Amino acid sequence: MNAVLAILMLLTGAYLVAVLEDWASTGRLRLAGPITSGLALLGRESIVPRQPDRIFFEVAPPLLLVAALLAAAVLPLSPNLIVADLATGALFVNAALAYVMVALLMAGWGPDGAYAMVGGFRFLGQLIAYSMLIVMPITAVAMRAESLFTTEVVESQAALPNAIYQPVGFVAFFVAAMAVAFLPPLDLPTAPGELAGGVMAEYTGWRLAVMRLARAVLVVTLAAAVSVFYLGGWLGPVLPPWAWSAIKTLLVAATMLLAGRYVPRLRETHVLEWGWKIGIPLALLNIFYVGVLLLVV
Amino acid sequence: MLQAIFTGFFGLAAIWFAVVVFRTSSMVRSALALLFSQAAIGGMFLAMQTEFLGVLQIMMMATEMAIMAIFMVMYMMDPGGLGGMDMTHQKRASQVAGALGALAALAVAFLTGWGPIAGEVRPAEQVYGLGIEIMERSMLIFETAGVTILTAMIAATAIAIKRRGSK
Amino acid sequence: MISGARQARPNFFRRLVAWAQARELAAFVVSGPEAARAIGVDLEAAGLRASHTPRHASVLVLVGELPPGLKRATAVAYAQMPRPRAILAVGVGDVSLLPKPDVAVGPGQEDVAAGAAELRRLFARSAFSPEASDFDVDAIRTQTEYVCPMHPEVVRSEPGSCPICGMDLVPRGAAGVNNLGAADDAGDGTHHGSMDHGSHEQHDAQDEDHGSHGDTGHGEGEHPTAAHDDREEGWDEGREVADHGHSEHDGHGQGGVSHGEHDHAEHQHTDEGDADAHPDGHGDSEHGAHGEHEGHEHTDHGGHDHGGHEHMDHGDMGFMSMVEMTENLPRSSDGLQMEWVEDVPFGPLFPGLPGGLTLTVTLDGDTVAGAEAEGIEGRASAKDLGGLAETLADRLARLDPLSPIAYRVLALRALESAAGVEPDERMVFARVGALEKERAASHLGWLSLFGRLIGYQWLEDRAGSFQLALVRAASIDEVARLWVEAGRLSRRVEKTPLLRRKLRGVGLLPEEAEPLGPVARAAGVGRDARADEEIYQSLGFESVIREGDDALSRLRVRLTEIEQSLDLVQKAGEMTIPERTLNGVPLREGSATVETPRGAATLHLTPERGALKDLELDEPSARHLGLVGVVAEQQELADVLVGVASLDLSPWGVAR
Repeated sequence: MNAVLAILMLLTGAYLVAVLEDWASTGRLRLAGPITSGLALLGRESIVPRQPDRIFFEVAPPLLLVAALLAAAVLPLSPNLIVADLATGALFVNAALAYVMVALLMAGWGPDGAYAMVGGFRFLGQLIAYSMLIVMPITAVAMRAESLFTTEVVESQAALPNAIYQPVGFVAFFVAAMAVAFLPPLDLPTAPGELAGGVMAEYTGWRLAVMRLARAVLVVTLAAAVSVFYLGGWLGPVLPPWAWSAIKTLLVAATMLLAGRYVPRLRETHVLEWGWKIGIPLALLNIFYVGVLLLVV
Repeated sequence: MLQAIFTGFFGLAAIWFAVVVFRTSSMVRSALALLFSQAAIGGMFLAMQTEFLGVLQIMMMATEMAIMAIFMVMYMMDPGGLGGMDMTHQKRASQVAGALGALAALAVAFLTGWGPIAGEVRPAEQVYGLGIEIMERSMLIFETAGVTILTAMIAATAIAIKRRGSK
Repeated sequence: MISGARQARPNFFRRLVAWAQARELAAFVVSGPEAARAIGVDLEAAGLRASHTPRHASVLVLVGELPPGLKRATAVAYAQMPRPRAILAVGVGDVSLLPKPDVAVGPGQEDVAAGAAELRRLFARSAFSPEASDFDVDAIRTQTEYVCPMHPEVVRSEPGSCPICGMDLVPRGAAGVNNLGAADDAGDGTHHGSMDHGSHEQHDAQDEDHGSHGDTGHGEGEHPTAAHDDREEGWDEGREVADHGHSEHDGHGQGGVSHGEHDHAEHQHTDEGDADAHPDGHGDSEHGAHGEHEGHEHTDHGGHDHGGHEHMDHGDMGFMSMVEMTENLPRSSDGLQMEWVEDVPFGPLFPGLPGGLTLTVTLDGDTVAGAEAEGIEGRASAKDLGGLAETLADRLARLDPLSPIAYRVLALRALESAAGVEPDERMVFARVGALEKERAASHLGWLSLFGRLIGYQWLEDRAGSFQLALVRAASIDEVARLWVEAGRLSRRVEKTPLLRRKLRGVGLLPEEAEPLGPVARAAGVGRDARADEEIYQSLGFESVIREGDDALSRLRVRLTEIEQSLDLVQKAGEMTIPERTLNGVPLREGSATVETPRGAATLHLTPERGALKDLELDEPSARHLGLVGVVAEQQELADVLVGVASLDLSPWGVAR
């Protein structure tokens, strides 16, 4: 029962993120937007490219959705509202997010189109930049919580949210989360101006609807991950726990969506350079710093 | 009972995907089939209640196999597989090696004394136990392995960079 | 009924969907949203959101006249829009290749808004209709050519055998299309491509389906499938990624040539043992050594025919070292040779490039090995511009819809020079005002396009609405207000984080290139036709010059020029060009130069008995088109696009 409720809240979150995304790009708040555009997409013709790698072409959108859902399944909305409280929850989030990359690789290779392919392989380059950056901060968070249970991670922040305790890790994880969700300015695989849609370019009709849904769920999942790992999840006075979770998640999502509007897309060389030359040393420093704090303070 | 079914299912899936690796001519399909084969093995781990290993396996293999897909596309001919290239070589030798290897594995599985089977180990205890193991008994192993891998990565990158001034 | 309805009987659910679709109209604009803004039409305000690819659009909006080249591209784009789809024509005459527009309106905001509302009604009513017909035009049919898998230069239009090696020719489109393999890995360090070892034949029943010809997923209802089969990939002109050139496979190497960092562990068919069995004579270039392999039948290499091919034992091949196989291939800048993916089209309706510009690129992994830019096919040539002197100004103004006023002024001044007449002061000031206003509007349109290309959404929106406001500005006071805004825009853009990193060093031109206009001024070279004119000097004009010669400095030059131009408009005091006729005045030779927003354009007239047959029109974009190759060479794809966009090319000029 709780699991069902959690999934419903997740889908609501995804809906709201879709509304937010629309608002961030057009400035208009259309609450019924996702429904009408979903319906519209379902009614449109599904075009399949002439010589796709059929398996990949078909599997990519559902796989993206499944990966995002799996990652969300271990994130708690309140102490009881969690689909699966795995003992390795924090690690599982990362495992599920790795399949985002597999899905985009398939979406890039499958349609047999130049733009999609360049987009798919650019995302792989982006993965190399962000993959360390998304795991190492989780390590530091788990260090503080002394456990990989996501619920315990939240509870360990009762005194101080991790965003203040380990600010460097917070920033690194936030940026890496934007990279996983390929949000601007890290939207290399789907660059609308450079690749005419990239990996999403060749999808139409209901497949596109699934891709967009998957993307919204992914953003919600990552925002939820940021709020669980760094902002204290459901902790907060007055309001019920799930309300706090919802507020924090939506705030993070809104920030992620808005940030990209005001910054140009990063060059691929820079993404990789900064990820490795700046990001990884900082993440290592963060682990060291947290270790010192835990052992000494 | 259920556990045995799931383990068997994942095991068969792993084998099937592994066969697909060699039956297909498309490089990318081959690499991703290997990925799913490894993920199925991760599924087996999960079905056998070794949660940490399962999650770790699934996570690592996704990234690794995707990188391998890139390298296969890079270096192998005909990544789309339209030329229908055969992926197998040295058939006789590999058949013999496969059969011998399978016999050896079965022998090890059945003849070794594995010790008593733990009753029900909760995943949290597994994680804890693994952590203690790494930090106590196997610390040297992991440290050296970690540093070696890091060195190899840096060395590989350094070699790949064109030296300034030379062609 | 809309022209691109889906064939189905409307029922309740479909009506609901049609209603939803009517509210979610996305427009693909030809030739780009800038074209709409340049005539003062705001499509967003009319309810049509702009979409960047036809695949995600439901309405095709045609703005302005379309030359034949663009008509073809538009037909291809229309064919790629999923149904239901409709066409809205704004101020357009002939749309020969496309079906009749569903709604045709004149070029005014209220008209367009009314047209959009009409479209919505049409969609809601007839998005699904049992009488839907198909759209099938020559332009979207693909041509099957037959190539030899080992000799890509051998291309025939009928099946046969290759004159060089005797192999059967394979239909292109079946073979090799999936071999895209171009991958981008850890940054610019390593680039890879794929090798199509075209000589291997099929395996019996080994492969699963590698794809399907002309397979279309049908949503609801049935569709006539004819047009779908021939849908082109990529919604830009021309074929999808073509076969990459099959390189000469320079022999098979022996043994383990160590590649240093390349670990051939994944090279499944590395076979050290058998390598020695091969004599050295695995000749160079094509597989002359095939004679040694047994059971060869070089038949159809297309991916779908598996019948009855013998199976080549790969073990006999020996170890193929990458070094030897790629020996004769052109090298890329990091020394890794690989196969190129040739002729990837970016255009003519690409979202990040000016509408109508076709950029054909050869991709080497993620790097561009070479690029070529072309303007719109079928546009006017110098001969077409000849004719009566009275209508010269109109003809020239129609030449380039991106800067019509500049060309009109050019024509008028050339005529005045030919007639030996001087314009009066008021006319001169008015021309300056109009010219500068257009310059600012053109730069703003460029800025919006550039913002879209670099993913800077705020800039795209802000510059777009600014351009619209300027085009609609009717009085000098409004221009004064906009001048203040321009200053703010400029400062805000300068303060954008990461913008400098994105643009610095991108789009560099070599020393020998002699660009014009803002591109030259961004390189520190003060080439500006306005600097010599008295009227500008009297208004206190000074060229805007920056150092750097990269995309960043060009951006800065244009930002400053926007402010400067708006200031000049205020000082000039007038914005519209007064009419002028030169009837009856005998014409001698004459010429004039005007600084268009893209650079100095020169017109030279040689009248013959009153009519103008030979015009020499020298334009900046013609010269800049030639610079695309050097800007793009060996740069990463995104940087190439930024560099090309920073040149502000106009694909409309005179055809050569």
